[in-house]
Amino acid sequence: MAAVDRSGEKGGGWGKGLADSSLYQKARRAASNSARFSQKLMWSTGKAAWIAGTTFLVLVVPLIIEMDREQQMVDLESQQAGLLGSSAPLPSK
Amino acid sequence: MGGAVSYASSSSSSSSHDDKRGTETEDWYNLPCPTKYEDITREAIMSLKPELFEGLRFDFTKPLNQKFSLSHSIFMGSVPHPTQSNIKVPVSHYEFGANLMDPLGKTQMVMLIGRILTDGRMSARIKYDVNDRFSFKINAQITNEPHFSLGMFHFDYRGNDYWAQLQMGNNAFYGVNYMQSVTNNLALGGEGYWLGHHRKSGIGFAARYNTEKVVATAQFKSGGTIGMTYVHKVSDKVSLASDFVYNWKTKEVVTSLGYDYLLQQCRLRGRLDTNGCIAAYLEERLNVGVNFLLSAEIDHWKKDYKFGFGMTVGQ
Repeated sequence: MAAVDRSGEKGGGWGKGLADSSLYQKARRAASNSARFSQKLMWSTGKAAWIAGTTFLVLVVPLIIEMDREQQMVDLESQQAGLLGSSAPLPSK
Repeated sequence: MGGAVSYASSSSSSSSHDDKRGTETEDWYNLPCPTKYEDITREAIMSLKPELFEGLRFDFTKPLNQKFSLSHSIFMGSVPHPTQSNIKVPVSHYEFGANLMDPLGKTQMVMLIGRILTDGRMSARIKYDVNDRFSFKINAQITNEPHFSLGMFHFDYRGNDYWAQLQMGNNAFYGVNYMQSVTNNLALGGEGYWLGHHRKSGIGFAARYNTEKVVATAQFKSGGTIGMTYVHKVSDKVSLASDFVYNWKTKEVVTSLGYDYLLQQCRLRGRLDTNGCIAAYLEERLNVGVNFLLSAEIDHWKKDYKFGFGMTVGQ
């Protein structure tokens, strides 16, 4: 009886008894679990985004910059070759 | 050796037998000479393992002659601690070196390289081709700390389609290895070594498959590792490489993938590891003979970040 009273006073359900309090407990547990889960999900998404971002920055960005420069050099050379009017061989890709 | 046995058995096929797979005939009497046993993973090492560093690096090479050059080098940065791998030790040194490279004839070459550092280390390398078939190499390194100096002699003999090498080093190290060309593209080889002071010995086997676009190697060492590498030359500017090492004694497996872009103005190498490590190394040509270096290594697992920059002046 004391147990029912103690659990009953938190939920505010008089006379509903054990079933209601356990439902409330389950709901509270579910809410805290989902809060923890979503926090962990946000945290690991953040970590994954950080790892993906720094990996992209170190591996891919210099490659893009260098390929762009190479493309500019090739365009400049082909332009110069066309300007001279000679049959200079185009640089191979 | 297994390679020699298969060569002897396949020499019975006539040399005019057409290979149905390809357009060229397999001439079993004129196989090309393979690479040396220690060089079979050369392409993979060049693409996947650039000299990453942390800190500042400056190299200046001044040629005094067509054959002789001096080099000055400054390094200020951190290196991993020799015994404890998760501690970095700050290091700064100046290195003076002298190089002599003299092609004596068409195929012979003598190379003498000496280096001395301000922290008391001195190293010397000699490479000499006695004649067309026989060459030797000597490596020596002398340090201040006791028991860290080492010296190694290598004697190489080159046959028509094989290489044989004998190694002798300090600590009573003796090694012998042999590489035999089995077909036009495939070479097999083996090695054996004996370490006197620690009473350890080991054997190893290796295979290398080499076409114009693809280099694949496999290595087995009795010290506990199996390694395989694969390098694919996608074009004359780009090559992709991958590497797999399995150590059955410590149950460690590592795979790494990398790319190697050789462009007009730069050389960019990048690598991704299953240890959670990414690395990139850029050599950018600013001017004739002036190269700008950038090195980056990020270890996400151990949270270890190393970035370095440098400059190389001279060839």
